[in-house]
Amino acid sequence: MHKFLTVLRYEYAQVVKKKSFIVGIFLTPALMAFFIILPSYFARKAPSTTESIVIIDSGGAGIGDQLASGLGSYTLESSSTPAFEVKRILVLTPADSVRFRHLDDSLRAVINDKELKYLVVIRPDAERADSNVYLVTNSSNFTNINRFERKLSDILTSYRLRASNVNLPVDSVLNLTHRIDLTVKDTKGAAIPFEVRYFGALVLVMLIYIMILTYGMMVMRSVIEEKTSRIMEVMVSSVSPFQLMMGKVVGLGAAAFTAVGIWVAFGAALYFGSGAFAIPIDPSTSKLIFHPLVVVFFVLFLISGYLLYSTLFALVGSIVNTEKEAQNYVMPITISIILPVILGLSVVQEPNSVLATTLSFIPLFAPTMMMMRIVFVAPAATSFSPFSGILGESILAFLIVVLSTVGIIWLTAKIFRVGILMYGKRPTLPELVKWLKY
Amino acid sequence: MYLRLENIRKAFDTKVAVDNLSLEVPRGAICGIIGPNGAGKTTTIRMVMNITAPDSGRILLDGHQVDGDFRNHVGYLPEERGLYKKMTCEQVITYMAELKAYPKAKIAPKVGPWLERMDLGQYRYRKVEELSKGMQQKLQFITTVLHEPDLLILDELFSGLDPLNTELIKDVILDLKRRGTTILFSTHVMEQAEKLCDHICMISHGRKVLDGSLGDVKSRFGKNAVQLEIDGDGAFVRSLPGVKDVTDFNRYLELTLADGTEPDAILRAVLGRVKVRRFAIVEPSLYDIFIDIAKVDPSEVHGPAKTGGSHA
Repeated sequence: MHKFLTVLRYEYAQVVKKKSFIVGIFLTPALMAFFIILPSYFARKAPSTTESIVIIDSGGAGIGDQLASGLGSYTLESSSTPAFEVKRILVLTPADSVRFRHLDDSLRAVINDKELKYLVVIRPDAERADSNVYLVTNSSNFTNINRFERKLSDILTSYRLRASNVNLPVDSVLNLTHRIDLTVKDTKGAAIPFEVRYFGALVLVMLIYIMILTYGMMVMRSVIEEKTSRIMEVMVSSVSPFQLMMGKVVGLGAAAFTAVGIWVAFGAALYFGSGAFAIPIDPSTSKLIFHPLVVVFFVLFLISGYLLYSTLFALVGSIVNTEKEAQNYVMPITISIILPVILGLSVVQEPNSVLATTLSFIPLFAPTMMMMRIVFVAPAATSFSPFSGILGESILAFLIVVLSTVGIIWLTAKIFRVGILMYGKRPTLPELVKWLKY
Repeated sequence: MYLRLENIRKAFDTKVAVDNLSLEVPRGAICGIIGPNGAGKTTTIRMVMNITAPDSGRILLDGHQVDGDFRNHVGYLPEERGLYKKMTCEQVITYMAELKAYPKAKIAPKVGPWLERMDLGQYRYRKVEELSKGMQQKLQFITTVLHEPDLLILDELFSGLDPLNTELIKDVILDLKRRGTTILFSTHVMEQAEKLCDHICMISHGRKVLDGSLGDVKSRFGKNAVQLEIDGDGAFVRSLPGVKDVTDFNRYLELTLADGTEPDAILRAVLGRVKVRRFAIVEPSLYDIFIDIAKVDPSEVHGPAKTGGSHA
């Protein structure tokens, strides 16, 4: 036990004292923000500059003018600057198809981000068929396209109402038939928006993934380094291979938890602290990340997942001679951790589907897959039984991970003890089986 | 600490690396395990170190079967040398001694003197990777002996050391022996074993072919011959009792003695009649004995140094 602690202490100090550890503390959250939060932020964000529009109206009904004035009501976020600038409304007679073709072609050619962003084309009979109105642009900004859609449907609907002789004021019909904004509520009556749950799950799963991969690989590298520099034999003359292996796994794991601990402490300081650094957290986000099931199982799956995978990495390290050789084994391991992110959308749309449930009970997938499902299912759950439902499934998945970790440690210990003293040819599977008996 | 191996056997698959090997090393003795590459030396040593377990047989230290704690009282220098390259010399020594459960308070005061003794004084705070290969070997030797082991196991100790460093380390080993440390030493270079060991165990193809004290082994295989260098006429020597045959080179004679004749008696008979410049008992070298009894191809014995680990 004493020697296990000596190895643990040494491995821990080796990592924590390195500059790369300090850099990682800052870089990891920054990278995560960059890859997860930023793209979604930009996709939903309203544009911050006024954008120019040209309208070709060959419908002859004056729709172009109405659209221009309708769009005029939009302003940029937190200012009175208009969001759109209608540069020209080119009115053509419906029959003038030669000029229309010429204008349409030449305007399409100049569409770019700076001078002309949107070209709205209104063809004859637009008030009867939707396909006679179209928008030409290279942008896919949801907010703006949504604005065009709304204004155009208001204008076209009122034309259609008048044409159909409805005996009611057009405005009140528009009001009455207004498309509703559907509020989605879960069974508990709380509505955590999909994006919050999706990005919450993504952040937690990515955190597990990054920690397992970074520190698991460190375990592997440390074993390979001791093999190639031939320290291994001296080491095993002082400590048992099992003590050495577990000392490495736990020591580097402690370094991983130091990093997570620093992030949690830092986050808590931001959340609970007041003054300039305090950041407001959306109440639905806090409902999600402070859900007891999410918190408890995040910690449990991070620990058990790390132990499972880092032991596997130690196994790989013990049977290869160089990091290059290890690459062949690292690839499938990496994929099995990241699987929930790859399967992402199909899992989150139906977190209780047969596929998602089955995958979350397979040892290698369980830590990340179950975590993803917990985030989606737990906040809406109304009852928690340790034998069924999300709590029961989480406990089962956790037990599966723990049991397979114990199995993997047992297996790895047997192979490790032989593998670390073997140099040269990589062993074949039958050879590995033989090692179990040495 | 005395070491006893009882009928140990180790097979890897179908290849028997060590077969029914028994050996006794008394306390304070230097025992050399000698044999060609691939004879089973390293496997034997790894079993003593409890790195691999024997298939059958027992390994006893002071009469007890080895357990986890025995490692703390053993110093082991494997054939494949290696240290943490990024650590300083002091850190490496400290970490290795801590892994032997040697008290921390006793480690610090010993680091300096040991480095001085090995001519590494000025490298104390330098990284291992900055040291030459020979220096790294000496550093590793320090990590092997600093925790005052009762049993020292040295696998191919002198390989790669220059004569100066060989001398330095040999002195330390003799010093440790005088303090009662038992030393097990493996080599495929017979001359080294011949100079250093009191006790010899020869193995070939996993089997012990010979074992005993160096003197016993030599006299057992000696041809009972003496060399004589004299001033004066040596013709009378031929007629001395117990002399079977003489090869006369005038001032230098080689005498083959009859069985049971003590070389001492010949010396006494010669003294006073001529001036004796040199008298030597002709002993076969270990190399000769090994070739003789193991019936191995002589080229195996001085084979090139082994690279890469195997179940040797």
